Amino acid sequence: MASKLKWTLLKFAPIFYTIVGLSILAFMWQCVSWGTAPKPGKENETQQIPGPIATIDTLGSVIREDSLLVGQNIGFGQTIMMEVGLNLVPKQSGAEKWINSTFDKDQTYQDSALKSLTVKLIGSLGRVLAGFILGSLLAIPIGLVMGSSKIGLNIINPIVQLLKPVSPLAWFPLGMIALSSAGGATIFMIVITSLWPTLINTAFGVSAIPEDHKNVAKAFGFSLWKYITKILIPYTLPHIFTGLKLSIGIAWMVIVAGEMLSGGNGLGFFAWESYNGGDLGRLLTAIVVIGTVGIILDKLFTYLQEKVSYKS
Amino acid sequence: METTVIEKEINMETVAIEDLRPNSIEIKNVTVSFDTPKGIYTAVKEIDLTVKKGEIIALIGHSGCGKSTLMGTISGMTKQTSGEVIANGNPVKGPGPDRGIVFQNYSLLPWLTVYKNIFEAVDSVFKDKSKSEKHEIVEKNLKMVNLFEHKDKLPGQLSGGMKQRVAIARAFSINPSILLLDEPFGALDALTKSSMHVELLKLRNLDNREKTIIIVTHDIDEAIFLADRVVVLNNGPASTIKEIVDVKLARPRNKKDIVHDPEYMKIHDRLLGLLIDKFSIDDIH
Repeated sequence: MASKLKWTLLKFAPIFYTIVGLSILAFMWQCVSWGTAPKPGKENETQQIPGPIATIDTLGSVIREDSLLVGQNIGFGQTIMMEVGLNLVPKQSGAEKWINSTFDKDQTYQDSALKSLTVKLIGSLGRVLAGFILGSLLAIPIGLVMGSSKIGLNIINPIVQLLKPVSPLAWFPLGMIALSSAGGATIFMIVITSLWPTLINTAFGVSAIPEDHKNVAKAFGFSLWKYITKILIPYTLPHIFTGLKLSIGIAWMVIVAGEMLSGGNGLGFFAWESYNGGDLGRLLTAIVVIGTVGIILDKLFTYLQEKVSYKS
Repeated sequence: METTVIEKEINMETVAIEDLRPNSIEIKNVTVSFDTPKGIYTAVKEIDLTVKKGEIIALIGHSGCGKSTLMGTISGMTKQTSGEVIANGNPVKGPGPDRGIVFQNYSLLPWLTVYKNIFEAVDSVFKDKSKSEKHEIVEKNLKMVNLFEHKDKLPGQLSGGMKQRVAIARAFSINPSILLLDEPFGALDALTKSSMHVELLKLRNLDNREKTIIIVTHDIDEAIFLADRVVVLNNGPASTIKEIVDVKLARPRNKKDIVHDPEYMKIHDRLLGLLIDKFSIDDIH
């Protein structure tokens, strides 16, 4: 009886520890908030950083505003589609004009919708996915080729080592020059910074295929296609997904910095705007949302990684 | 005088009968060297060996004496530096479907089920056969090693003995005329090993004893129980054949009875003498 209780409690241990961890974070946050409280007589000189409870309050009101927008007008969905669409098509093209003419219905409504967190979140996610997918489409094939030969590995390795530590912000101006659009430069920035973990992990995976598995292919005369589909890919897939998980994390981290530089509709810009407007509550809300989405992306890729892993 | 003539005739006859079997493997003056940073390392040197069709040969020797290397030249996984290896009348240029290989560490693909592991080999070798024929072959071979009910399991869910049975079924499934086993039972416990020996011979009997089998081992009992001839290799580097010991024990051999056979004990002693120099601490003087 007592032992059964013990095991039931142990099942909830991870949740319990999560709660403890988050409580410690909230407490430290509250301490910072108290520390920045304006001194008597100097109320107008400094601003107090909102504590966790105040921030949750702001988050609640932001969500309420957004849901009101959704309820008010079915154009909200159109606004999102317009935003995502405008992100993906080149500026001043026919497609852009078509999007504007199709979705542009109620200017005042759209202005308020564009300021909403939901539209900005979706804009950011769209950009991250575009950059991440482009980057992965480059990284996986290059990694596969790189890993399958020692010479390839040795040639590409120094290039990767050199470009990998370059800060995402350093790539932004280059993207601006090359693509002459802020949105394009942001996506370029994501592509080039999120490329490396996938590239390295893919190459490592291919180069680490055990001799035993290769011997099976030799002994039974596997065709190249059979070798790729039955040995190379199954063995490398978990490594590729480890890389993808790291890459999406980097992409999500880079997007905020990118949007602070490029403006436009994204979470980074939302945070910057809130700071400029002196609304620290919204700034912290943005940080909470960024963190939460980061966790969700990480969990999603951990799940996918487990799905493609074999048990030996 | 007369008796010797008769004896001679009988001897001639047996020689003639043996000669009727075609050569399955001919190893002619084979040397294998590897280019290493420390210089050229010769694993085996000037080996000559002819194996008849249907024979079971055990290659025995100490670790690192080059028995696996020699086996590699037959399977085509290792290229000889000089000399020639002929299998089924053709010079060995690389691995081929006429030679089935069972590796020491099973070498099953961990992401494929037992069934799929065999199927991929069959699919790869019998390109012209129809899908249903291929499935039939896989099923037959799985049933032969009594693993049909485990066909949907992954290798990770099987015991070592079961994994090796899958590997043997895979090698049999491509119906090779030569079966090469590279320390196949080295990682198994003694009890599992014994039953695997019997199972291997059973599989061979199902096939009318037509397969030539080469088995690399360092287990003397295993070698005697399975083989027609035991090839003892010298210690490396540059090892050569030390001696070839004939095992003239009638088949089918019985695991329990065979050890009491005086012939068995004689061969066992001979092999032990060839492989081990020191038998007790007292020998060191």
